[in-house]
Amino acid sequence: MSSESSKKRKPKVIRSDGAPAEGKRNRSDTEQEGKYYSEEAEVDLRDPGRDYELYKYTCQELQRLMAEIQDLKSRGGKDVAIEIEERRIQSCVHFMTLKKLNRLAHIRLKKGRDQTHEAKQKVDAYHLQLQNLLYEVMHLQKEITKCLEFKSKHEEIDLVSLEEFYKEAPPDISKAEVTMGDPHQQTLARLDWELEQRKRLAEKYRECLSNKEKILKEIEVKKEYLSSLQPRLNSIMQASLPVQEYLFMPFDQAHKQYETARHLPPPLYVLFVQATAYGQACDKTLSVAIEGSVDEAKALFKPPEDSQDDESDSDAEEEQTTRRRPTLGVQLDDKRKEMLKRHPLSVMLDLKCKDDSVLHLTFYYLMNLNIMTVKAKVTTAMELITPISAGDLLSPDSVLSCLYPGDHGKKTPNPANQYQFDKVGILTLSDYVLELGHPYLWVQKLGGLHFPKEQPQQTVIADHSLSASHMETTMKLLKTRVQSRLALHKQFASLEHGIVPVTSDCQYLFPAKVVSRLVKWVTVAHEDYMELHFTKDIVDAGLAGDTNLYYMALIERGTAKLQAAVVLNPGYSSIPPVFQLCLNWKGEKTNSNDDNIRAMEGEVNVCYKELCGPWPSHQLLTNQLQRLCVLLDVYLETESHDDSVEGPKEFPQEKMCLRLFRGPSRMKPFKYNHPQGFFSHR
Amino acid sequence: MERAVPLAVPLGQTEVFQALQRLHMTIFSQSVSPCGKFLAAGNNYGQIAIFSLSSALSSEAKEESKKPVVTFQVLHFSLAHDGPVYSMVSTDRHLLSAGDGEVKAWLWAEMLKKGCKELWRRQPPYRTSLEVPEINALLLVPKENSLILAGGDCQLHTMDLETGTFTRVLRGHTDYIHCLALRERSPEVLSGGEDGAVRLWDLRTAKEVQTIEVYKHEECSRPHNGRWIGCLATDSDWMVCGGGPALTLWHLRSSTPTTIFPIRAPQKHVTFYQDLILSAGQGRCVNQWQLSGELKAQVPGSSPGLLSLSLNQQPAAPECKVLTAAGNSCRVDVFTNLGYRAFSLSF
Repeated sequence: MSSESSKKRKPKVIRSDGAPAEGKRNRSDTEQEGKYYSEEAEVDLRDPGRDYELYKYTCQELQRLMAEIQDLKSRGGKDVAIEIEERRIQSCVHFMTLKKLNRLAHIRLKKGRDQTHEAKQKVDAYHLQLQNLLYEVMHLQKEITKCLEFKSKHEEIDLVSLEEFYKEAPPDISKAEVTMGDPHQQTLARLDWELEQRKRLAEKYRECLSNKEKILKEIEVKKEYLSSLQPRLNSIMQASLPVQEYLFMPFDQAHKQYETARHLPPPLYVLFVQATAYGQACDKTLSVAIEGSVDEAKALFKPPEDSQDDESDSDAEEEQTTRRRPTLGVQLDDKRKEMLKRHPLSVMLDLKCKDDSVLHLTFYYLMNLNIMTVKAKVTTAMELITPISAGDLLSPDSVLSCLYPGDHGKKTPNPANQYQFDKVGILTLSDYVLELGHPYLWVQKLGGLHFPKEQPQQTVIADHSLSASHMETTMKLLKTRVQSRLALHKQFASLEHGIVPVTSDCQYLFPAKVVSRLVKWVTVAHEDYMELHFTKDIVDAGLAGDTNLYYMALIERGTAKLQAAVVLNPGYSSIPPVFQLCLNWKGEKTNSNDDNIRAMEGEVNVCYKELCGPWPSHQLLTNQLQRLCVLLDVYLETESHDDSVEGPKEFPQEKMCLRLFRGPSRMKPFKYNHPQGFFSHR
Repeated sequence: MERAVPLAVPLGQTEVFQALQRLHMTIFSQSVSPCGKFLAAGNNYGQIAIFSLSSALSSEAKEESKKPVVTFQVLHFSLAHDGPVYSMVSTDRHLLSAGDGEVKAWLWAEMLKKGCKELWRRQPPYRTSLEVPEINALLLVPKENSLILAGGDCQLHTMDLETGTFTRVLRGHTDYIHCLALRERSPEVLSGGEDGAVRLWDLRTAKEVQTIEVYKHEECSRPHNGRWIGCLATDSDWMVCGGGPALTLWHLRSSTPTTIFPIRAPQKHVTFYQDLILSAGQGRCVNQWQLSGELKAQVPGSSPGLLSLSLNQQPAAPECKVLTAAGNSCRVDVFTNLGYRAFSLSF
């Protein structure tokens, strides 16, 4: 730069000397064109760099001149003034140059500014234009995408496939030659075809509708005809009733019963159906009927929701009510009643036995407990003289007890009931059994109700096959039970009067002459039996349950008194009565201190099968008692005579015996041999 | 088999019948097997049951429960006789059982394998009678390998076990014979019967040597009980017998009663054991007597009356050395020592 500036400075110096001529010439050119002098135009012609050199040079010259002047003044000579003058002129020239330069600089600055401003304005305009263009581009792009996204309605229409279209459409629509190549035309043609087809189908639809209308009208007419037929048929039925009656064909009655049966709860219905079926097929002596009010049964079905609500609410309510109302007892009572409610309909079975006695069984269904109960009643052909001791034999409470082993009918067979009882404070069902009837297990089975032992579950469904499989055995058992009870009843009547009523067909079991006599036959309470000192073995063996009946017999001969405590199992006569003996004669003798008393017990208890008599062995009890009398005779007559006691034997030996004693335990000859009539050892 | 059915169990026909049968069961006889580990018991229904003493006595069995009856299985159970099984003895291989008229032999080894077929049966030559006489007592005479049977026909029959033939008949009793006892040294047999006499027989001559009519001695006579001699045991010159008359210790050579044991109930079984006499009869107890007549102990059993005692002294099974007692129940009481009843086996 410095070198350049120094270069520039030289031409300036030269110009200021001789070169301005060239500068002037240039200037004159412009001046000539403008024909006026303008310093501004001069500026354009001058090189700012050269001006800068010139400015530097001028400043230096001035400094030098000033220094020379100062020098001259300080010397103060004579010609100094000229010299100074000269110098001063030179300085003035230089000042002029400086002034000129200053002006030029100003003009230049102004010019620069103007130029800059102009350029800036231009840039601004360009920028604005650019913005506009960008916006326009964006808008156009949006429009393009909008167009691209446009969907025509026809696309949603399901068209038949292309192949099908060409196959089916008539050529004036398909126009294969035009449309094959042009998808647009093709689509239009297909749409046309679609429209055509739809029009056709709509036509068909309308036709079908009118057809339907017509058929409906026809049906209406036929219905009217049928409904008019019903009253006419009814009147014919009504008219035929006397004819039915006259011909003993109770179709109508049976029909009515079936009608009623429809309202039976499922278990009773099962029982009804199975019992009727069994009665028709196997046992003509069985008659089935339905009792109770049908209307009530119908009414039961109407508001089932209400009652259910009550049930479900009862839990929550119970606590509240205890606090709120003082009449808790009454409420519980009501709840109990509700729980133990029977279905208004019941099934009656009448089982007729050979001797015209009838067993009436009434089966009930406890709706809320889902169990069945039965009430039994026995009516006999003749009026029975009721012996005191036979009180329990035919009582409704016990006549059917233990029909199957262990079936006492006191406990509910449905395990779920226990939880229901807990809610309303019922301890056991047995307190209500008299009123409700007994829920024997076999009753549930006849009704097809089967309760699993372990898990209580609510979904117990009445099952026909279960009922059917139990019907026959149960009916037979029931008959046997009634007959054996009636037989016992008859026997008791005699026994109470001291007569052992041996029938003629059992006479061969005993010798003709029996001296020992039955003098007493009374019933005893279970507790009293348990407390007897000679019945401990039976109690220990578990044979003295509280469902059994207990009796006490007294057999006498002379001074000897034989007490016999009898356990009568409800399963008589398949299960024998069990005897325990106590002989009062020369001291008290029981099975624990006299082997022969033990043997006598064995004779009646274990060897009872010999005493059964003809089937169905209802005479067993009588025969056992008669046998006891015989045994007592043998026992007393064979007792060894005590030589030391004076006088004749109290019981002379009248029975024919082969031997008096036998075996290590010195058994007496208790066995009676029928035709020969002698006694021997077993 | 359970001894006692719990109370108020529902009973069907068969259960009731079985319960009654068990209730009226009488076990007349017992016999220990030659190995000493098993006990056979015969009852009034003609059944013979075999109990395993060794398993009943083993420690495991005891720990298991206090109801021994359930634990100890009746190994073998068959209807052996028509009538009761009154008497049983065991030889080294056989079990001989007798009841109504016949004696039957069973092989122990086979019975334990549950094969219950009898080996042979023999009937002594009876006089014809309406009733078949029973056999109340069996007695083995090891020296001549024979068996003596006695019972309802008032005679003693000797049977050769080798050939099975009846060799001798000893007549003399006027009523049926209850019991037999063998004198160990001399070949002599004692028999006691319903006629109230104890007779001593010489087997060589087949003659009656001595007769003791017990009821005629005032000290031991008890007329209200009868004359019958129900049990008999002997040891050298001493003999103990009981029944209707009081239980009495006799000196045989002098035929005099030396000790009368103070017990009122008629005794059905008596035996010498070491220096004691064990007896049982009516009443629940097994009585232990000193020879002097003092009652040493009365050990109660479970039956109301006892008919037989059996001492298991087989050397082969020292761990099974027990006293068993049976009678008027379906239970056989087992006494591991003489002091108390350990448990009961049950039919």
